[in-house]
Amino acid sequence: MKERYKKYTVDIPEDMKIPYACIVESPKVNGEQPQMLTGGWRIYRPVVDHDKCVLCKSCILACPDATVLLVDGGQKIGFNLDYCKGCGLCTWVCPVNAIDRVPELDFEDGVPFQDALFLLPHVERLYAD
Amino acid sequence: MAERTGTVKFLTGLGAVATALKMADIDVASSYPIRPYTGAMMMLSQMAARGELDLEFVHGEGEHGQLGIAHGASAAGARAFTGSSGVGVTYAMETYSPISGGRCPVQMLIGNRTLDPPGDFGSEHTDALSTRDQGWLMGWAHTPQEAFDNTLMFYRIGEDARVSLPQMNCQDGYFITHIPAKVVIPSQEEVNKFLPPLNFPDALDPLNPLGHGPQLFPGQGHVLEADRVNAMMGAFPVIDEVVNAFNAQFGTDYAPFVEQYRCEDAEYVLFINGGHAYTAKFAVNHMREKGMKIGLVRPRWIRPWATDVVADILSKFKAVGVVETNNAFGAARQAGILTLEVATSLYQCDKKPVLTAFMGGLGGEVIRLDEFYYMGDVLKKVAAEGKADRTAYWIGFHNV
Amino acid sequence: MAKTIEVTVWATGVVQDKEGRDVCLVLTEAANQEGKFTQAFDNYVDLPDRINVQVRKYARISDAEIENKFEYENHRPNIIGVTEATIMKGINVCKGLQEGGFLVINTTKDPEALLKYVPEKERKKLKAVATIDAIGIAPEQLIDYSGAEGAEDVSAIGAGLGSVMAGAIAAVSGIVKKESILAAAANRTAAKRGYDEVKIKVLK
Repeated sequence: MKERYKKYTVDIPEDMKIPYACIVESPKVNGEQPQMLTGGWRIYRPVVDHDKCVLCKSCILACPDATVLLVDGGQKIGFNLDYCKGCGLCTWVCPVNAIDRVPELDFEDGVPFQDALFLLPHVERLYAD
Repeated sequence: MAERTGTVKFLTGLGAVATALKMADIDVASSYPIRPYTGAMMMLSQMAARGELDLEFVHGEGEHGQLGIAHGASAAGARAFTGSSGVGVTYAMETYSPISGGRCPVQMLIGNRTLDPPGDFGSEHTDALSTRDQGWLMGWAHTPQEAFDNTLMFYRIGEDARVSLPQMNCQDGYFITHIPAKVVIPSQEEVNKFLPPLNFPDALDPLNPLGHGPQLFPGQGHVLEADRVNAMMGAFPVIDEVVNAFNAQFGTDYAPFVEQYRCEDAEYVLFINGGHAYTAKFAVNHMREKGMKIGLVRPRWIRPWATDVVADILSKFKAVGVVETNNAFGAARQAGILTLEVATSLYQCDKKPVLTAFMGGLGGEVIRLDEFYYMGDVLKKVAAEGKADRTAYWIGFHNV
Repeated sequence: MAKTIEVTVWATGVVQDKEGRDVCLVLTEAANQEGKFTQAFDNYVDLPDRINVQVRKYARISDAEIENKFEYENHRPNIIGVTEATIMKGINVCKGLQEGGFLVINTTKDPEALLKYVPEKERKKLKAVATIDAIGIAPEQLIDYSGAEGAEDVSAIGAGLGSVMAGAIAAVSGIVKKESILAAAANRTAAKRGYDEVKIKVLK
């Protein structure tokens, strides 16, 4: 019986397999989703003047992507630059004007470099010589 | 044959349909946004806003309501237009039969989109084809030019008193809806000559009240169904007449029912519906250059299905490969919906070709030239062996 | 099969949706006037509705009818345009570039300054890299969706920085003539300045 119906099914190659019913685990580390890096969208980077900062945490509440973090044992404001899109909301809400927006190209580092967006192994060959 | 004349513009399939609708002087459009058909409604709303088209533009609260608006407008005698894509088409499912049952000649643009999951923006025909048995005329365009022409032809066929049925004017999402191509636009006078104003005899009118769609007596239901079958099958001579009239007036050479491309001495053919036929024609040319006797057959109508024409054409060949850009889960032969139609059409023939199907373009994937060459190789093999190992070969799996 | 020139333009989502598309539309319209077969199209694989996401706009120019018309992406582009230089820091804009390709970037910086963001493999294939201060020449970046979703543009094609970029791309690569670009762009001066003021560094 099984053999008889085999001709109707499809053998899916190993490198094309997808998660069962497209069910994937939720991100667990700091809410990060490594397949959806958004740091590359950033044109202006938020830079905190720690002398001015009063740690009111308005920026933490304002950030739509939860990329503003408390670092140094809760003593400083920091950013998760892998995901910060540079929208500038933190700058807008800061009551003491402690967050500047600096062109991203003025920095050497800080953006995760991706070879391509959404590239699957079996599609990679289309880009090859 | 007369040379095609008019203004040449670069238009997407949506732009072509919107332009044709303006020339058809439609009265009511009801919209609800969903990619990829949305652009047609964007253009119509702009035309209405600029005063170029005397149009009642109504925004529905969803596709179900949207189709209801078009139904009401058509019942009141307006030339009505609506459209949708993908899950929008299926959300409005309930409304299709009442519209065709009420014999309201609404035209609906479907820019095909993959159903969820994955809901890809790209074309897969399963959305429109799931509605195929609801009493609507249904056909596909494979270029923006054909989309323009179909818009005019469909209205004239659907509004013909011998037919009086709604029409689904389908085009592949992205491939046709979003990629521009040259479209020759005839003059307004020419269009007016081809498409007369709608004369809907039983239009709702407060001064002459009528009841549309009342409850029937027991014993009338099957008669009503038979009536709609007669309208649907009665569309054949009207389609033939209208397409020929269009060809004569505009210098085109559309086949009324089924297009044959390089089939003269062909031994193998691809049976393909919709936009992918554009690429397939190049593939056929290249395979011909290499000496393979291959052709392409493309239905212009899915409803009504031209059983006898399809049977006459396909029974001549050694092997037929149906290129399915839709999926019929668990259907006979486990291929797509077109396989069911083609296989049934061939049942009446004494001489039958070897029949198989190619599952391509699923999830909105493109079908590339090399994938058509693969189909050609398979057809050659199954013709030589006199039978096919599989009822459907899946395209895009690099292990096949 | 006739050779098709493929152009990929990287822009920022929503903000440069029109300007990115205009670069492609001006180039293809110029090529149309020269009797070429063309196609300008948007990328939806990038999910372009997200503000500032990296999106691609494409053009194809050929001497014969384009046979791969329906392919969603230019996998093997000949020319890369970048309308916002910062994009290069986060992504390999030259992925799949063909031998002898060109890279044209909208920035005030010199061409050398941005080459470091192109990985070695693709850098070796570049024939020239060029920069143009497109925002300095045509500061308008019109946010207009009338031309999105496959509808016709209501706003003029190439009124803003799209013309400058198209002019620069034409000057660097020579795919279309200067006259054709000027005839195709709504903002002639911008297109002309793009063509004339582009800074080119020939790599081989």
